Amino acid sequence: MTPNSEIWARLLLALVFGGAVVAFALQAWRLYRLMRLGRPDAERFGVYAQRLRDELVVYLGQRKLLKRGYVVRGLGHALIFWGFLVITYGTADLLLAGTLGLRMPGVDTAAFMWMVDLFALAVLAAVVVALVRRRFFPPPRMIVQLDGYIILGLIGLLMVTLFLFEAAAVGGKLFAAGAPVPPLASLIAPVFAGPSAPAVFAGSWWLHVLTVSFFLAYLPRSKHLHIVTTLPNVFFRTTRPRGALRKIDDIEQQEHFGASSLRDFTWKQHLDGYTCTECGRCSDNCPATSTGKILDPKMIILKVKEQLLHEGDALLAAGDQRGASPTDETITAEELFDCTTCGACVEQCPVTIEHIDKIVDLRRYLVMERGEFPPQAQTALRNLERSGNPWGQAGPSRADWAAGLDVPTLADNPEAEYLYFVGCAASFDGRNQKVARALVRLLRAAKVSFAILGVEETCNGDPARRIGNEYLWQTQAQATIETFGRYRVRKVIASCPHCFNTFKNEYPQLGGTYEVLHASQLVAELIESGRLRLRSDGALKVAYHDPCYLGRHNGVYDAPRAVVTGTPGAELVEIAPHDHERGFCCGAGGGRMWMEERKGERINSRRMEQVLALEAKPDAVASGCPFCLIMLEEAAGTKGVRERLRPLDVLELAAEHLETEKS
Amino acid sequence: MKLLVPLKQVPDSTMRIKVAPDGKSIVTEGITWSISPYDEYAVEMALEQKDADPSTTVSVVTVGPVRAKDALRAALAMGCDDGTFVTSDENAAPLVVARALAKFVEQKQPDLVLCGRQASDDDQGFVGPALATILGWPHVATVTKFAPADGGIEIWREVEGGHEVWKASGPALVTVQKSDKEPRYASLPGIMKAKKKELPELALSSLGVDAAAPKIEVVKMETPPQRGGGKILKAADGDAASVAAELVRLLRDEAKVL
Repeated sequence: MTPNSEIWARLLLALVFGGAVVAFALQAWRLYRLMRLGRPDAERFGVYAQRLRDELVVYLGQRKLLKRGYVVRGLGHALIFWGFLVITYGTADLLLAGTLGLRMPGVDTAAFMWMVDLFALAVLAAVVVALVRRRFFPPPRMIVQLDGYIILGLIGLLMVTLFLFEAAAVGGKLFAAGAPVPPLASLIAPVFAGPSAPAVFAGSWWLHVLTVSFFLAYLPRSKHLHIVTTLPNVFFRTTRPRGALRKIDDIEQQEHFGASSLRDFTWKQHLDGYTCTECGRCSDNCPATSTGKILDPKMIILKVKEQLLHEGDALLAAGDQRGASPTDETITAEELFDCTTCGACVEQCPVTIEHIDKIVDLRRYLVMERGEFPPQAQTALRNLERSGNPWGQAGPSRADWAAGLDVPTLADNPEAEYLYFVGCAASFDGRNQKVARALVRLLRAAKVSFAILGVEETCNGDPARRIGNEYLWQTQAQATIETFGRYRVRKVIASCPHCFNTFKNEYPQLGGTYEVLHASQLVAELIESGRLRLRSDGALKVAYHDPCYLGRHNGVYDAPRAVVTGTPGAELVEIAPHDHERGFCCGAGGGRMWMEERKGERINSRRMEQVLALEAKPDAVASGCPFCLIMLEEAAGTKGVRERLRPLDVLELAAEHLETEKS
Repeated sequence: MKLLVPLKQVPDSTMRIKVAPDGKSIVTEGITWSISPYDEYAVEMALEQKDADPSTTVSVVTVGPVRAKDALRAALAMGCDDGTFVTSDENAAPLVVARALAKFVEQKQPDLVLCGRQASDDDQGFVGPALATILGWPHVATVTKFAPADGGIEIWREVEGGHEVWKASGPALVTVQKSDKEPRYASLPGIMKAKKKELPELALSSLGVDAAAPKIEVVKMETPPQRGGGKILKAADGDAASVAAELVRLLRDEAKVL
């Protein structure tokens, strides 16, 4: 190359790549401004050490892509991603060298060249697999769009041109003698050893940098933007406990409630939309989606994003106009109320999107601002308001379950160590009253000092909050906190994971901080320490069903299992692969307990199928949640399997094996 | 169109009612009070009309003790325009209530008064028809729907196996039946607005009503007798035929349904 033509080449490259940078920047600026239509969000800052750690683990380490059930696919992604990082370093060198004549440190070492070539090959292989999969074996919930092919095509083209210009450079002896050369490209270099080498080199080199430039300019309008947005999306992920919903501060002073407009989401919730890659893992794991309901969590995220991209500019221009809520336009109330808030979507999302918050914000708008939501949910909330429980049972009969057990109330025994908060289900539902009585037997046997609130107990508000009536939740919660305060309650046991979650994770938002235990945690500890002595009653295989608000939302996986394994004769069976963090909801969370399930297969029926399909043929299916128990009982009854697969609570299992009780 | 819905506040239907030691009243401690269900349907029916024609005004009024103000607020939260509170003792006689309401209706001059067909506490179904009688207005009972029509109001009432359509040319009073339009859930902005609204108070005396006439006294109150448990017939030795025969005998001789 003559010096003159080299200057022209540098200028041309600067122009092409500079243009791409400008195109990217302009689009990114628009997206940023649209994102900032969202509200400020204070909870996204602070705890920076944890945020950095998340960035290393989730972004660089690809931890959430490599989750159980997705390891092979995840590895394919990780290879493309890590390859992208290494090769981008090389690309930066290419562009710097091509424009300013500067080099990135380390690029001419043999080690780096090995890395580039190995990753380029891995990326190429992964791209081919991805293309074949997309074309011939698309996963059920993947939206196969041109965008995906364009991106995979561009990545493939980048790798091919990389190998081409490397090989041509080796073949045409463009490397200084003795300098390290790209090892894999060298293998095919002889093909390009002829006089055409410089032309092949120039052609493929230019095609490569043009592709890079096009890629950059195309990125902001593609779902592939996630390679950029995941970085902040992971960094600013919520540090709230998984099970806690966001509090609405000064609720009586608000003019709007929930997501009454795009402006009511926070900027981070809009960033979630930009980050969604449409991979569909949320939908794959959603109990509603997979049993034929309308809800598809991915579509909630995408519909909000689509609306932002369509209407955001007008909102920016209009200044103070609020615009429509997504529920007025593309998202129906039915899909929002299909959600059981089980958290499988949030658990599985590789880029830490917070689906439940968005769904609940939209519910809040429908419930509090519009008063339009499923009639059965209205009845549940009305009942809660009027009689202190969602079933509409008479409040004064709340402690009837304890008749004959002589259970002290805190009024009788204010010195009791633990408050056992019974919860509405165990207070009023006949089946779950047995669980409450089982717990009382266990606590008595272990000589634990406890008391209940008796008729002073009312619903802690969880169903109201999940259904979307934050106001009612705050009212109920404040009343409960006052009651707890009156008795100076410090330690609370709950046999219901919904009560447990609310006390542990949500009451601190209102200033109520207690030591909260799920009953299975205490009982597991009592068995472990020998304070509870259980005896064998013959061999029993027990499948354990993870309640969402115990497992996924609170990470309590081991304690209820320890109750099973700590029961002599009982053998624990996992409902694999739907166990632990992949547990499949019973269908009753998020207020679904009080709503009818008419569309598609019933979620509890699907869950029961999973248990029945186990090769281990369990004799019982145990849970640690009254709602799960109701749903499992119902499914077992419908399927006529109650005789051979008995639904029960782990507390009942332990209580039935008490040494002091006859079999 | 001007609509008026008189409300009664009653113990919520989820409450477990106990007779007080005096044997003449109920224990009110721990009771949650609500709008009587049929009255709530009447509010919903009036608000449906307001939804259809926003120029409609819906007023509510109640005669009762101070706690009954909550019933008015609940109705305002659902979307009613204004509420008036007429102070009385607990358990004012139905005729006293009807007389007070008649005076109020004369002041307010609504086009249609919607009462629930009966209150869920005493189930007397007295106030609606009595109010129509005092006013000299036409009265249509167990109404499920109404709509403005040429020169009046069309009124649908439920009858066995169908419905009748009536037409009122002047002001009228209807008593409302349960319909498939469930009373709406109050929105939070509605609740907040209702909290801030003024509730004008009237004394019975200022309406020229004598609170003491007629005087009604409850002599005795008792809860219905406990229902006996069901009877389970067991086929002790697996003989289904003898169990069936016993069942038929019981259904014929004891239950007398055969």
